[in-house]
Formats: sequence, C-alpha cells, structure tokens
Amino acid sequence: MELYSERTVLITGSSRGVGRHIAEHFLNEGAEVIGVARNAHCLEHGKYRHFEVDVSDVDKVQALFSSLRKSNTNIDIVINNAAVLTSQYAMIMPPDAAQAMVNVNLIAPFLISREAAKTMRKKKWGRIINIGSMASILEPEGDSMYAACKAALITLANILAKEFGRMNVTCNTLGITAIETDMLRQLPRDKIDEVIAGLPLPRYASVDDILNVVDFFASERSSYITAQTVFLGGVH
Amino acid sequence: MDTRSIVTEIIFKALRQLNDELAQGKKIEISTDTKLFGPEASLDSLSLVSVVVDVETGVSDSFSKTVSLTDDIAMSQQVLPFSSVQALVDYIIQLLDKE
Repeated sequence: MELYSERTVLITGSSRGVGRHIAEHFLNEGAEVIGVARNAHCLEHGKYRHFEVDVSDVDKVQALFSSLRKSNTNIDIVINNAAVLTSQYAMIMPPDAAQAMVNVNLIAPFLISREAAKTMRKKKWGRIINIGSMASILEPEGDSMYAACKAALITLANILAKEFGRMNVTCNTLGITAIETDMLRQLPRDKIDEVIAGLPLPRYASVDDILNVVDFFASERSSYITAQTVFLGGVH
Repeated sequence: MDTRSIVTEIIFKALRQLNDELAQGKKIEISTDTKLFGPEASLDSLSLVSVVVDVETGVSDSFSKTVSLTDDIAMSQQVLPFSSVQALVDYIIQLLDKE
C-alpha cells in the first residue's frame, strides 16, 4: 500500500540533491508533489507539479500559494529543504553570501511554513518538516552563518510547533549529516571526512537514512511528535 | 457587487467560519458594528489571528492584491482597523485604492 496516496506534499529545493530524493520518494509512495525551486524542473511524473520560485521572496511565495488555492490544492506536508551554503571564514565571507544564507535557509522556511499553515488549519492536519544540519550542533569553523541559520531553523520549528499545535500541525527538524550532493562538493572533502570520522556512527548518510526520519515525522502515527529535532549519525 | 460589498462579505465569511468552530454561547454577532479588537471585543487573540488570515487571503484571492492588515501602517491608523468590522472594511478599501 502506498504511504501517501491521500497527501499533497510541498518540497522546496526539489530540483536536485536531497530535495529531489525526497520528491521521488513521495511520488513513489503515491503523493501529489508540489516542487518548488529556482531551477527548472527535472522530474517527469504525472503527480509532480513544478513551480520556479525564489522561496525567500515574500511576494513570490504569496503568489505561489494564491495559485495553489485557485487550483484547490491544499498542502498536507511541507518539506523545507532548500538551502544555500557558502563556507568561508567570517572575516572574508562576502556579505551578499551571508545575506543569501539568511534569506534561503531561514526566511524562506518561515514564509513557506506560515502560508502552508493557513491552508492546513482548515483541515486541522499538517506536517512541517525542516531539513537541518549537523553544523548547527558541531559548529564548524567557516560555517558561522550556515550553522547559525540551521540552529535558528530548529528554534523556528519549535515555536511554530507551539503556534500550530492546536491546529494539529506538527513541526519538526531532521538534522542531516553529509550526503553526496552538489552542496557537499563545494566543501573540502578532507574537512568533511574528519567531521564524519568523529561521529558516533562514522559514515556518510544514505538517502534512506533521511527518508526514514522524514517518513517518521510525516506519519499519521506521529501526531504527538512535535518540536523535535532528530540528528542522523549520533550527532549531539 | 461593488468593492465595499465584496470586502464586507469577505469579513462576514471569515466571522462565519470562526463561528463554525465556536461553541454555542461563544459565537460572535455578525454585523458591521461587531467589535473585533479591544476591551469590548468578543474575539480572543487566536480567533482574531484566524479572522485576519481569512480576510487577507480572501482579499488576495478576490482582488489579486496582497494586503497586510497587521503591519506598522495598520497599527498607526487614527481609527484602528480592528476596532469594528466597519473600520476594517474602510481600511481595506483604502489599501485597495492605493496603487
């Protein structure tokens, strides 16, 4: 039986990397998937709809949800996955790159979550799942803004969990470790290997490690799980 | 319908939706005189949030224009937009007239 045949899932950053894997998973499990990304779509599936949107632009996000309302599309599950990363020592970090991380990694999940919650409250059911990072706990040098945004993402989820709880909308965060993506390839491999070697479970994450926790948070049975963060690999 | 009638109906619809969730005896009167915010208002803060969301969404869908009813401009009006349904209608029309 398909897990999500009755569900509509909105995934940001769905055109590549972790977001694309998550989109493919939900499609395979019968969900209707609304993919949102700055890039053109690269997923061909009858139940996939793609919107090219800058998720940090409030007007574009509101226009997206207005368009979804007009097509009677109610979002059940949100995966706030879109993220940008510039790894650089603070003293030489380009300010524009720092601002972009705040916009995409923090403002965007706020905008998407609140617009989705406005539709979820009618059904009194919803799941908001943020894709966080081990960086928020490990605080690696060079990732000051990225790690700060990912830590703030956890706080955001925890407070939204309080505000949305009475609507039966849960908000949780999955803190992922390292997985082979374009984002990871921007970073020095030896640095990542060293971080991974220090984890209680010293290996890179697999796609299934991520999907396992996403399914847990999205599950009907997880209605009593909110304001929680699960880190992969034993990060603590 | 003219703009005033459409906006009034959007607000009434939001109040009806709120009433659907309220228990008997707690339901609010639906009229242009209904107080939405302040000591005499019958809405608690969460109910008001719900009404604001429905009204902002309704205005956006009906007029293809995004309005914010809780920003600094709204809160600095001489007559607070949420003092009554009538005041809210007037304020939304003012926002829609602005280009």
